[in-house]
Amino acid sequence: MNFTRNFSARINRFKKMNRTDWLNFLVNNAIYIVMALLIGIVILREPTFLSVRTLINVLSQSSVKLILAFGVGGIIILQGTDLSLGRSVGFAMVISASLSQADTYASRFYPELWLTGMPTFIKLLIPLLIAMAVCAIFSMINGYIVAIFKVHPFIVTLGMSVLLYGVLTLYYNSPEQGGQPIGGLSTEYSNFILGRIDSIGPLKFTGGFYIPYLVVYAAIVSIIVWVLWNKTVFGKNMFAVGGNPEAAAVSGVNVVGTFVLVYMMAGILYGLGGFLEAGRIGSANNSSGFNYELDAIAACVVGGISFSGGVGKVSGALAGVLLFTVMSYGMIFANISFEYQNIIKGFIIVFAVALDTRKYLKKT
Amino acid sequence: MKKLLSVMLVLTMVLAIVGCSSDKGSGTTTDQQGTKEIVIGANIYNFGDNFMNGVVSPALKEYADAAGVKINIVDSENQQNKLNDQVDIFIGQGVDILAINLVDPASASTIIQKAKEANIPLILFNKEATEEGAMAMYDKVWYVGTASADAGIIQGDMMVADWKANAKWDKNGDGKVQYVLLKGEPGHPDAEARTEYSVKAFDDAGIPVEELAMQPDPNWSTDGGNDKMATWLASFGDRIELVICNNDGMAFGAINAMKEQGVSIPVYGVDALEQALNHIADGEMNGTVLNDGKNQAKAVIDLSLNVANGKDPIEGTSWTLDDVKAVRVPYVAVTPDNFADFK
Repeated sequence: MNFTRNFSARINRFKKMNRTDWLNFLVNNAIYIVMALLIGIVILREPTFLSVRTLINVLSQSSVKLILAFGVGGIIILQGTDLSLGRSVGFAMVISASLSQADTYASRFYPELWLTGMPTFIKLLIPLLIAMAVCAIFSMINGYIVAIFKVHPFIVTLGMSVLLYGVLTLYYNSPEQGGQPIGGLSTEYSNFILGRIDSIGPLKFTGGFYIPYLVVYAAIVSIIVWVLWNKTVFGKNMFAVGGNPEAAAVSGVNVVGTFVLVYMMAGILYGLGGFLEAGRIGSANNSSGFNYELDAIAACVVGGISFSGGVGKVSGALAGVLLFTVMSYGMIFANISFEYQNIIKGFIIVFAVALDTRKYLKKT
Repeated sequence: MKKLLSVMLVLTMVLAIVGCSSDKGSGTTTDQQGTKEIVIGANIYNFGDNFMNGVVSPALKEYADAAGVKINIVDSENQQNKLNDQVDIFIGQGVDILAINLVDPASASTIIQKAKEANIPLILFNKEATEEGAMAMYDKVWYVGTASADAGIIQGDMMVADWKANAKWDKNGDGKVQYVLLKGEPGHPDAEARTEYSVKAFDDAGIPVEELAMQPDPNWSTDGGNDKMATWLASFGDRIELVICNNDGMAFGAINAMKEQGVSIPVYGVDALEQALNHIADGEMNGTVLNDGKNQAKAVIDLSLNVANGKDPIEGTSWTLDDVKAVRVPYVAVTPDNFADFK
């Protein structure tokens, strides 16, 4: 009911629009229009793009990116950014992979792993917890320094990314034989991440459709993040501090505490993302995760999480990530050359940031 | 409070730096017997490169230890300007030999000039100077590496032989090879040469080919290989008959994507990393080409020792120098028949 009423109200609003309104509408939704055009072009070139397989691939390729976008999204809401995301995720990937190799695999990171022989549940949980803890600690340090010393997060997280790469490479190169890509992951671990749901109860999916576990994990994380952002004191404080730190401090919000918590949450999500990504890719090395921050930050901004702080929605991050994945997937699908892929991607990011600033100018 | 924190931070950092550097005195040192210890100033163009960081770098250290020389290896982070600064520092430290892995093969002359001015012998390795006449600028510069084209030729020959032996690989029976190719960094001499020569092998054998898709990846990355292969499996499906990868890392991603979809298409890489040998053992990969990092490292150390002792660079070794003062360590085909020899 509510939906139909909303919908007819919208239709009415459309009818009443004059030329400037239309122009505004076009500009405000330009990003979606560009994306729709792009998808249209891909479909024209390759009609097979419209398939169940595309849907499943796009959703599963988006899953980890979404989890990472939620992490950095919180930091962007605090008027920040996180350039250490990629290395952090890379570290989590290397940690998870090194602790999850099959004990039958020939070249293991730990020839004698103490986890061998433990129940599956423990074998999965311990690497996940260690990855999350390590990322959370480094991210909390970022948060502390940003909050207490009032240094711009750009430079703090830039420094942290360099530091993390050093620590990560030290760990990666530590085995006797030197740093080798860590593959041969255990079947329990791979199945936990690459598994799929073929049926729900008596209902069996047909037409090649299935739900990858990764999508389920991303959905669960989305719900948790939605509740945290919208229904908790933590979320309210985050938006208050992000919108206006001075006002938030005056009204009794613990600003430093909020910073540290938001960064810690980002770290936990990077840890989880890295744990899942290593399983998704099937191996990890010290350049894993490189540049992941760019996609995550771009997706957030395209999804309307504003760099000026205090504004952002879970659905926005979801839209941003999906649009980016559809775009890169579609361009490779349609065999568009590498150079044009970069031009189009770059154009959309610049465009989105320009629009973002425009919305902000209107607000003040 | 804030000041106290800053002071403590600075103190921790100073202590950390002192702690880290205490065991790594650099520059020319003298051991207890009074004989001069040879010091090599070396770099790896990027520690993020699986092959250079995982194979060549440990081998350099191992052979240097065995020969009783000291080697300092730094990370140039894939930036040529960083490498230039690092060479200045090495020269300032007074190292005996420079062993340099160029970031940008077109920037060799700058490095050669620096070495020449300081009169320090220079051994370039793994990435060959592309400038005409650069190697002739200085009498004490040599190169250790491979012939870039060889990896592509060997990979191509391997694929042609397997293709001829397996009639059912031609799934649609049109006599043509429908392939996809994961290229690596555009403009990289290895990426370009491997792409050209691996496909050329089919032409030379008179087998027609059809390129379904080819995508570069500046990072040669496993995740890029995975996502691209997943996309191609959706867009071309059964039409893909062969997956050519210009390094093993991207091949690992492609294998992972195929496993996820439950398909198996012949796939070939280059580098012969341990993981590749394991994939071959499991029947998931059809071949790779050993980029013989260990012997490249050995040649670097052998040449350094000779030069530092004032001998001819290849004296007493099995290496030979070609007309551009280069030692070419051969590539080796690694197949399901012989992979166990490389473990």
